[in-house]
Amino acid sequence: MTAEARLPTRQLIQPDVPVFDRRALPPTARDALAGLLLAMADDEFVAGFWDSEWTGIAPMLEEDVAFSSLAQDEIGHARIWYEMLAQLAGESADRLAFHRPPEQFRHARLLDHPRTDWAFSIARRWLYDTSDAARLTALAGGSFKPLADIVAKVRREERYHLMHLDAWLHRLAGTAGEPRQLLEKAFALLAPDALTVFTPLPGEGLLVEAGILAAPMAELADRWRSEVGGTLKSLGLPTLLEGEPPADGREHGQPSESFRWLWNEFTSVARLEEGVQW
Amino acid sequence: MADLQRPAEGRRDEAGRLGAGADPTVWEVFRQEKDGDPMRHAGNVRAPDRELAMHYAREFYSRRQESVRLWVVPRTEISDLSDPDLLQPPFDRSFKKPGGYVMRDKLEVAKRRAKTAARTVAKKETTK
Repeated sequence: MTAEARLPTRQLIQPDVPVFDRRALPPTARDALAGLLLAMADDEFVAGFWDSEWTGIAPMLEEDVAFSSLAQDEIGHARIWYEMLAQLAGESADRLAFHRPPEQFRHARLLDHPRTDWAFSIARRWLYDTSDAARLTALAGGSFKPLADIVAKVRREERYHLMHLDAWLHRLAGTAGEPRQLLEKAFALLAPDALTVFTPLPGEGLLVEAGILAAPMAELADRWRSEVGGTLKSLGLPTLLEGEPPADGREHGQPSESFRWLWNEFTSVARLEEGVQW
Repeated sequence: MADLQRPAEGRRDEAGRLGAGADPTVWEVFRQEKDGDPMRHAGNVRAPDRELAMHYAREFYSRRQESVRLWVVPRTEISDLSDPDLLQPPFDRSFKKPGGYVMRDKLEVAKRRAKTAARTVAKKETTK
């Protein structure tokens, strides 16, 4: 390892996070990769914090533990992406996660909605996890080995998430009355933002050229659509996933009220005292 | 989670299964800690169907990687045997144990008796 790669964040890195030399990447690809990691980290971080809002109030005790555990997994994945980004950008993962103003977050608009009700949380998480799976598939076997290796591990953990969300989606869709109605309402609310996880990233073409990402985001969106469209159709749910991913699907120049609230929550301890060591 | 202390609530069906008497939403979970270990009862979870029961078993008994295998069994399918006439017969049946009669307790009693008897004899002789 080179001196340049030895950053102060080193001591915070969990054993799972790959340590790498950023100079192994061409400078242009570095910026593009930083953009991708930031999008992935913010997605997982925000999704994890929204879903952790169910701790203590999920429909039953067992689900309370399960959903909280899933939320923790996502925050764990966010940590991996933030730590990798920290190595690329010469930053610390904690600063990236807890000391950025809400305007600078780059999570998909799909994750901007509040927790709402149980059916909504399931619908949103199902849309997000299936999208994330498509993205991870496109990164597995990529040419940048540190990333490809850790993606393979993350995908193993996401398998169970998909199983669990699928079980709940089918359960709610197959239960006439309130569960089905709330699920339909949730999909109608989320449909306009359903493709935002695939918002094109600046410089993504460079990542495709470098063999890090298998295909541009718009193409991943198409693959995802044909996959989840089948499930939604079989459940008699409106697919409502037409069109292209919007160009501004990760812009938060004017953060939504719900995200401002969440940001206040997840930064509240970090903001207590600037620079304190925990 | 259901009550672990009284797993045999309700009545049994003809096959001895807890059957209709047991809570149909309770699933008993067995776990294997490492390859080659026996399956041990871990506890139970409440779930509306087998699929979620498997998920909850995973969350409760292996989310910290403490198991390599889980068995998830509906409580209604468990055959319960807790009749004391069958399990705790009223007589000493220690001779059925691989070591035969348990002599330790009897030997203790005999030794104590012998000691007391010897002391009594000795006392009588000194007072003569």
